[in-house]
Amino acid sequence: MTDKPYDYYIDFVTKRYFHGVDNYDMNMVLDCFHEDATLTEVTSMTVHEGRDAGIKTMFEGFLGAHSRVWHGNFVHTCDTKEASVCSQFSVEVTPHGESEPLRYENCNRFYIKDGKFSSVFIYMSGENLLK
Amino acid sequence: MQYQSSLDRAGLIELAINRYFGSVDAKDLDAVVDCFHDNAMITVQTAFTIHEGKENIKRMFIDFMGAHKTIIHKDFTCTVDEGNGRIVASFTAELENDDGSWTRLSNTNFWRIRDDKFQEVYIYMSGDNPLT
Repeated sequence: MTDKPYDYYIDFVTKRYFHGVDNYDMNMVLDCFHEDATLTEVTSMTVHEGRDAGIKTMFEGFLGAHSRVWHGNFVHTCDTKEASVCSQFSVEVTPHGESEPLRYENCNRFYIKDGKFSSVFIYMSGENLLK
Repeated sequence: MQYQSSLDRAGLIELAINRYFGSVDAKDLDAVVDCFHDNAMITVQTAFTIHEGKENIKRMFIDFMGAHKTIIHKDFTCTVDEGNGRIVASFTAELENDDGSWTRLSNTNFWRIRDDKFQEVYIYMSGDNPLT
């Protein structure tokens, strides 16, 4: 058993990470990751390494390409013994210059060490947006 | 949907990894289908493919098992939410095709358990969907 309660993991994923992404708060987003964290988009096997390198660059590109980003309809599977959260959710993103959002049904696997993400794995239902 | 599960942590792992994947790899169709409720649903989320009801799920597995000479699921990493009757596993799937070639996938399954069987299963795949 880790020292974090169940609600810590759920709140960390939703109220910090996804809240930060949806509100374009890059500092809040990056603060969720350890410096040596990795983020892998599995459906295209794209690996982003390092909070202040690959992960930051990826989020700059992703947030810069869309006028609106929304994550919701969450169902979480949370394991306090293994310090991991696997989340299913819907994503709506509106590319700049477009009026209609694109919708995806994705999942993320978050592995957490000392309260922050050490590795994140993403599966996307359509084209990889996290290049 | 939130379901009531009767399985503890060890029971969830036993159902998903040993009974389900063990039976898939052994091509034991009856044992695989017995893991599901009659009105269960499998969704391959990355391909937007849905199989509803035990008979449709059985048909899908007949095709899947017939299309591959060897089926291997291994290298499981489990996330278990005992209080909510949910388990997730990431794993490697190795499938030997009829021509002797192999397909390797890095997948993640989400299972939602009602009582002691699968009610909903969601599969996220790294490549083309073989569960058609």
